[in-house]
Amino acid sequence: MSDATLPGGTSAPATGGSAVDVFERHRAELQASKRVMNIFVLLVFLVALALSVWVSDFLPERLAEGIPRIFEYFATIVPDLQGDVLFEGRGDDGRAVPGSLTFWYADFWTYVELIWETILMAITATLLGTAVAYALSFPAAQNLAPARWIYWISRRFLEFCRGVPEILLALLFVFMIGIGPLAGILAIAIHSAGALGKLFAEVNENASSRPIEGITAVGGTWFEKMAYAVTPQVLPNFFSYALLRFEINVRASSIIGFVGAGGIGQELNRVISFYSDDRVLAVLILVVLMVTVIDLISERIRLGYIGRENFK
Amino acid sequence: MLKLEQLTRRFGENTAVSSATLEIPDGQMVGIIGRSGAGKSTLLRLLNRLIDPSDGKIVFGDTDIAQLKGRELRQWRSDCAMIFQQFNLVGRLDVVTNVLTGRLCDMPAWRSLTQIFTPRERAFAIQALDRLGMAHTALQRAETLSGGQQQRVAIARALAQEPKILLADEPIASLDPMNAKIVMDALRDINKQDGITVICNLHTLDTARNYCDRIIGMQDGRIVFDGTPAQLTNQMAREIYGAEADEAFNEAATSTSIPTSDSPAVDTAKAIA
Repeated sequence: MSDATLPGGTSAPATGGSAVDVFERHRAELQASKRVMNIFVLLVFLVALALSVWVSDFLPERLAEGIPRIFEYFATIVPDLQGDVLFEGRGDDGRAVPGSLTFWYADFWTYVELIWETILMAITATLLGTAVAYALSFPAAQNLAPARWIYWISRRFLEFCRGVPEILLALLFVFMIGIGPLAGILAIAIHSAGALGKLFAEVNENASSRPIEGITAVGGTWFEKMAYAVTPQVLPNFFSYALLRFEINVRASSIIGFVGAGGIGQELNRVISFYSDDRVLAVLILVVLMVTVIDLISERIRLGYIGRENFK
Repeated sequence: MLKLEQLTRRFGENTAVSSATLEIPDGQMVGIIGRSGAGKSTLLRLLNRLIDPSDGKIVFGDTDIAQLKGRELRQWRSDCAMIFQQFNLVGRLDVVTNVLTGRLCDMPAWRSLTQIFTPRERAFAIQALDRLGMAHTALQRAETLSGGQQQRVAIARALAQEPKILLADEPIASLDPMNAKIVMDALRDINKQDGITVICNLHTLDTARNYCDRIIGMQDGRIVFDGTPAQLTNQMAREIYGAEADEAFNEAATSTSIPTSDSPAVDTAKAIA
């Protein structure tokens, strides 16, 4: 490349240089204005960081002091397993030998039942939440909403649903309908509807308008446009988001029992507050195992589905 | 008889269609020509109310189409089928469901929303596809088809509407000459055999001349020519197209004439190059 003017390129010396000069000047101005903005943002960030460290007392020495206490707590919940009787079953009198796995996991089948309940809670809540999110995602999408006020109401409603923490909703429902999984399911379903509704609405906003125009032109109603022109386009994305939400809901439903809303959380809360011994670890291990397995399965399904969609 | 009276559409400062007055008798095949931005697409979309007019009347029979609302408007859209430059099919639905959407207007809501179609509706859709030679693709997803095939499916969808008028917005602008010819032949057959009025936006002159009974020329939103292909002189066409004249006359570019070594179209192209 040479510095010589390209043949055919025009220069306009009268108004302050050629096209190249004008471009370079504008570029320099743009960069200068960006630099000021960047420095400003960095300063704001540093101030906010300093403030939050000060408010939360996030100091390295406090953290260092706290670390040994983690192990102290773990020491209290680690089971006292004995190598020689590890696999001993129950004796003739129906009692387990202390130090054996059977003794540690004396309530194993209760835990399994509760974990099953937890998974069912997550499935039900995800289905309910997805159904509500699906219905509201169309009026909550800017390009699809039939009227401005409908858009506004659906958006605010979804915001409310995901704005209230699950645990708070669960407390409310436990008061309303009593202790048990139903309260937990409702709480998680409402939160899921809010979170998924927003994601779904954003997927809808990216849907191509051509099929919508096509269905409008055949004389379709708003509902028919959503069902025939938008839904087929967005369904793979909805499916993938709903599965991701299911993974989140499995975690949520294992915690929500802390306020009496059913599932393994209720048992975890009980063993922590009453015994704080090896039973806590017994439950924790099962919870972590469940979450991991569900995550793995769901991820496998999700990736498999996306892959199949993309290469069809 | 479709009558436009002083039909006008403004977009802010711009007037896309300006006082269009026309009478189109039933069963005519009309081509609308003009350069890009002349208002051809807007005019067509005004007819089925994908765009609402700012002023003027659209009269079909005794009804003023410009005043229709709700159920009656949807019924009019169903009577006035449209095919698009980009086909506007639902790519992830199979071909036969795409065609069946042409029946939506006559279906009760519970059936349309649950996608339950009667065997009679399905048979009707397959017959429409068969007429376009596309019945063998009925169970494929629409997006797996080529452009020309998609446009034929779109025409089948329009036929499924049992329309009185067929609007076609640049139906062949995205197609190669071979497919363009198939699509234009299909439109002409529908016009001649079923007696359906066809109103078609076209970019190239020779297609309009070959297929249409009547040509309407638009420039800057106004109708500047209305007559038979014979009345459209080269001088007139040059005026309508303005700066795009060369492209419109370059019949090898986007037209239905399949170039052969001795066809005059190629000579024209060479002469221009």
